[in-house]
Amino acid sequence: MRYVIAGYTIILSLLFLYALQLVWRRQRLTRAVERLEAAPASSHVPVPAHSDPRTESR
Amino acid sequence: MNPNQRVRSPLLQSARARWTVRIIGIAAVLSTAFTVWLGLWVTPPDQVQGDLVRLVYIHPGVAWVALYLAFGLAAAASLLYLWPRTRSLFWDRLAAAAVEVGVVFNVCTLISGSIWGKPAWGVWWAWDARLTSTAVLLVLFLGYMALRRVPAEPEVRARRSAFLALFAAVDIPIVHFSVLWWKTLHQGATVLNPDLSPTIHGSMAWTLLLSFVALTLVFVWMLLVRYRIGVLEDWLGSGELDAALRERQAEGVAPDPAGDGSEAAAGAPVPEGVR
Repeated sequence: MRYVIAGYTIILSLLFLYALQLVWRRQRLTRAVERLEAAPASSHVPVPAHSDPRTESR
Repeated sequence: MNPNQRVRSPLLQSARARWTVRIIGIAAVLSTAFTVWLGLWVTPPDQVQGDLVRLVYIHPGVAWVALYLAFGLAAAASLLYLWPRTRSLFWDRLAAAAVEVGVVFNVCTLISGSIWGKPAWGVWWAWDARLTSTAVLLVLFLGYMALRRVPAEPEVRARRSAFLALFAAVDIPIVHFSVLWWKTLHQGATVLNPDLSPTIHGSMAWTLLLSFVALTLVFVWMLLVRYRIGVLEDWLGSGELDAALRERQAEGVAPDPAGDGSEAAAGAPVPEGVR
C-alpha cells in the first residue's frame, strides 16, 4: 500500500504545485498589464503581437 | 490595422469567461477528490495485484491527458496554424499551452508508471517499448518548449514550433500501439483494446472512468489558464519592445533600418531643444 500512497501523493502534489504556479504567473502578468494601463497613455501604449503592423505585413 | 487605433486590453475578459474557468476548476477539484476517495477506500483490491491496482485510478488517467488530449490537441492546433485558411496566432498559443500542460502530465505518467513498476516488475525502469516511446515523447516536447524560447518574430516562432509539434506527434500512435507491435513488460490496453471490450468491471470500471473525467477537467482548467498567460505574455512582450523603440526615439536615436550605423534618415522625431 505504501507504493499506492506514494504514487497518489507525488502525482497530486505535482499537479497541485503546477496549478499554483499557473495562478501565480497569471496574477503577476495581470498586475503588470494593469500597471502599464494605469501609466499615462503617452508614455506607454502596448500593442499586442497579433495586431502589430510590423508583423502583419509579413 | 491603423497603428493609432486603441488596442483591446487583454484584461478585458468577460465575466462569463471568468466564471467558466472558475466552475471548471471547482468541478476538477471535486471530481479528483471523489476519485481519490473511491480509488483508495471504496473499490476492492484486485485478486492478483492486491492494493497495487489502486494506481490504475491515476496512471492511465494522466497518460490519457498527456498523450491523447494535450499532445493530440497540440498537433491539431499546429496543423490548423500551418493551414493557410485557418492561420492564426490563436492556434499557436493553444498549441503552446497544450504542450506545457502535456509535459507536466507526461512526467506524471512516467513517475506513476515507475512507482507501479517497482512492486509489479521488480524494477523502477525498463527499456520497454511503451516506456521508452513515452520518454521519447517527453524529450520531443521538451525540445518544443525550448524552441519556443529562441528569440524570433511571433510568426516565425509559430511556424517552427508547429512543424516540430507535428514531427513529435508521430510518436503518439507509436506509444499507443507499442504494446501490440512489440513484446513488452507493460500490459495491453484495458479499455481501448483492439476488441473494444474493457477488461475491467463494476466499481473499478466506474472509478476508472471517473478518473478520466476528473483529470480531463484538470487539464481543461490548466489549459485555459495557461492560454491566458500566453495572451498576457505576448501583449506585454510586444509592449515592452514598443516602449524601448519609443524611448530610443525620445532620446533622438532613430532605428537604423539600413544597418550601416547612420542615424539621420530614419525619420526620428527631433527633440524639442534641437529645433
